[in-house]
Amino acid sequence: MDGVDFEIRKGEVHALLGENGAGKSTLLNILHGIYSQYEGEVTIENSKINFKNANEAIEFGIAKVHQEVNLVTELTVGQNIALGYEPKKGLLVDYRGMYQKTDAILKRLGCRFKSSDRIGTLSTGEMQMIQIAKALFHNAKVISFDEPTSALTDKEVNRLLEIITELKSNGITVLYITHRLDEVFKIADRASILRDGKYICTLDVQGITKEVLINNMVGRDVAAFAVRHKPLCATKEVALEAVGLESQGVFKNISFKVHRGEILSFAGLVGAKRTDVMRAIFGADPMSGGQVKIHGKDVAIRTPKQALAHGLALIPENRKTQGFVKNFTNAQNMALASMDRFAKGIFVHEGKIKENCDYYIKQMDLHPDDPDYQTNSLSGGNAQKVIIAKWLTTNQDIIIFDEPTKGIDVGAKAEIYRLMEDMVANGKAIIMVSSELPEVIGMSDRVIVMCEGRMVGELGRDELSEESIMHFAMEG
Amino acid sequence: MKSIWKKFSRELGIIVALVILIAVFGILEPLYLTPTNLMDIVDQSVINGLLAVGITMVIITGGIDLTVGSTMAVVIVCIGNLLVGGLNPVAAILLGVLLGFVLGGLNGFLIAKMHLQPFIATLGMMSVYRGIAYLVTGGWPVLSIPQNFRTAMDGDVAGVFPSSVVILLLATSVGYVILKHTKFGTYLYAMGNNEEATRLSGVNVDFNKIIAYALCGVSTALAGMVLLAKLGTGEPTAGQGYELNAIAAAAVGGTSLAGGKGSMLGTFFGAILLQALKVGLVVLGVDTFWQYIATGVIIIVAVYLDIVQEKIKSWKFERKFAR
Repeated sequence: MDGVDFEIRKGEVHALLGENGAGKSTLLNILHGIYSQYEGEVTIENSKINFKNANEAIEFGIAKVHQEVNLVTELTVGQNIALGYEPKKGLLVDYRGMYQKTDAILKRLGCRFKSSDRIGTLSTGEMQMIQIAKALFHNAKVISFDEPTSALTDKEVNRLLEIITELKSNGITVLYITHRLDEVFKIADRASILRDGKYICTLDVQGITKEVLINNMVGRDVAAFAVRHKPLCATKEVALEAVGLESQGVFKNISFKVHRGEILSFAGLVGAKRTDVMRAIFGADPMSGGQVKIHGKDVAIRTPKQALAHGLALIPENRKTQGFVKNFTNAQNMALASMDRFAKGIFVHEGKIKENCDYYIKQMDLHPDDPDYQTNSLSGGNAQKVIIAKWLTTNQDIIIFDEPTKGIDVGAKAEIYRLMEDMVANGKAIIMVSSELPEVIGMSDRVIVMCEGRMVGELGRDELSEESIMHFAMEG
Repeated sequence: MKSIWKKFSRELGIIVALVILIAVFGILEPLYLTPTNLMDIVDQSVINGLLAVGITMVIITGGIDLTVGSTMAVVIVCIGNLLVGGLNPVAAILLGVLLGFVLGGLNGFLIAKMHLQPFIATLGMMSVYRGIAYLVTGGWPVLSIPQNFRTAMDGDVAGVFPSSVVILLLATSVGYVILKHTKFGTYLYAMGNNEEATRLSGVNVDFNKIIAYALCGVSTALAGMVLLAKLGTGEPTAGQGYELNAIAAAAVGGTSLAGGKGSMLGTFFGAILLQALKVGLVVLGVDTFWQYIATGVIIIVAVYLDIVQEKIKSWKFERKFAR
């Protein structure tokens, strides 16, 4: 984030908008004391603040309502609201006083549950109310909402928006992050837009259209490196076809084809469930309906092992938790998915594992170029190369890349794009899930846009622009 | 030479510690250094060493096996009964190994397929297996185990070397090869380190986990049969608390209870070190109560030194990286 400079008026609802990775969450983390090392100043009512931790922010009267509900499920509603700040009577917790206070807050919010109820019995929407109640318990002057409606039903959303309007009328300042523009028009007074970690503008919401907002959010520098150098090489031969894939409550009606030599991208915002679809196809998560066909044949994939047997590869979104094994060397990580090739019977041939690694170190320009190096100690870009090498080693036909360049420096990005081009030139099919629009636009033959578990649009290469993709992704 | 140094750098710490320990006891009491005494130490490490072979594999997967003491007892009474009934010793040993494989595999099934936490699953099975051991004999010991079996498991090889020590060395070597040079061994480390990444690499994590527990059962069965041979009677109460000694040997040898890290050689020397300490304290005439304290302190110190070693390693690494 760099040079973000704007102000929020007391008692307004201020929307904070931007694409994935625009810097909204970073900004909130600074405000809430989660990041204490930063340059620049934050002032609240003319006093400069620099919270060392989240508690200081709470005590100052700055509370947050998160997209992910963060509650202790084994405790009661009241205990959760007061957690860490329980009123005391001598050494003991004054439960009666605590519940009286929390019940009063719940009543004010119009909640139908009581302080003595257990968290486990509540819906997601109700859990969000507890977070708001918690903010009120701490007499918050500023409350930030980070994607609060992404997991709520329509009815719960309406109730939440009412409550936010009510908070505003009580003089509380609200900072509201969302991907749903219609909510912005319903409750926000003004909106600030971030892009690529930079501040773009602040607009009065009254009297402007969605297009104005979208146009300000997009327009990231379409990076020169996300381009196809080789001629497009998509064939008519279908490599993988999905027919009506469904996972209850997550996604449904997912049908698409990807051809040999093609890069098909899935675009969408956080929460569009693109990763969930890919994991289900790969057998990492269960699916409740639909059929996957590979090279025209129906297949039933229930485990990643079966996916491998059908020529699928998945390069996962989270390198550290899903991509590589921490204590393993580069050579071992690259060999992990194809141990059968490096073993005679049950015995492993160490030499071949090293040979394989040496080959890819040269191919991919890996730094440091040591097969015995622990992958965990590599930079993000180099670790990603190791994971890609792992799958190249398996020589699969259909490769799913989930956010292939997330958190990677520009140089490594360019090399990964080159590798992807080589793969399709060799007749492989690539499915790419990416939240980086320049990369989607630059690399894809075709793009499917998803929103909240549904496919909402499909765009050919000549129709691709940030506006056209965001149009689908945000309007649903 | 340098590559050997590098290859065994992990185990070096424990070996150095063992040498120092023996030297200190030797200075305090020269009797300690006699070949007979040293051989006794190794001989007395056999049971714990065998248990630790299997438990090391299980711990590397990120699990634990608390049943080993009880599994031992089941093997002891079942095989004891069969031997007394006249079964051929070789057949009895093979059956014992199979029984251990099945009992261990059952633990693995509960953990891999029914998703029970390893600690709880094996805590439950520890009690179940103990109960089975009592049921088999009605609570009575199995008496007069045939001499040929006892010689096979605990006799002298070439007049000097107890066959039980040979069994330990063999089991440790096999364990070493499994961990270092097989696909299965690679998967054990990978699973213990990052189960999700391993699964997404197309590894059948559940199957490999079950096999790890089954192999732990096998080494446990061997330990049980050695104990049966040593004592000449099969007690259903045998092996109580042995699981903790085995875990201690693995931990002292550098195996991390968090999974993904450990070595068979480290475990082997860990078992020897614990026994060397025990014998040394006895030789010096230290009060039994103090022996417990000393053992505990050694475990804590060993594991702490391991943490320090890791820190130094990553610190060196960062310096190298910064340059």
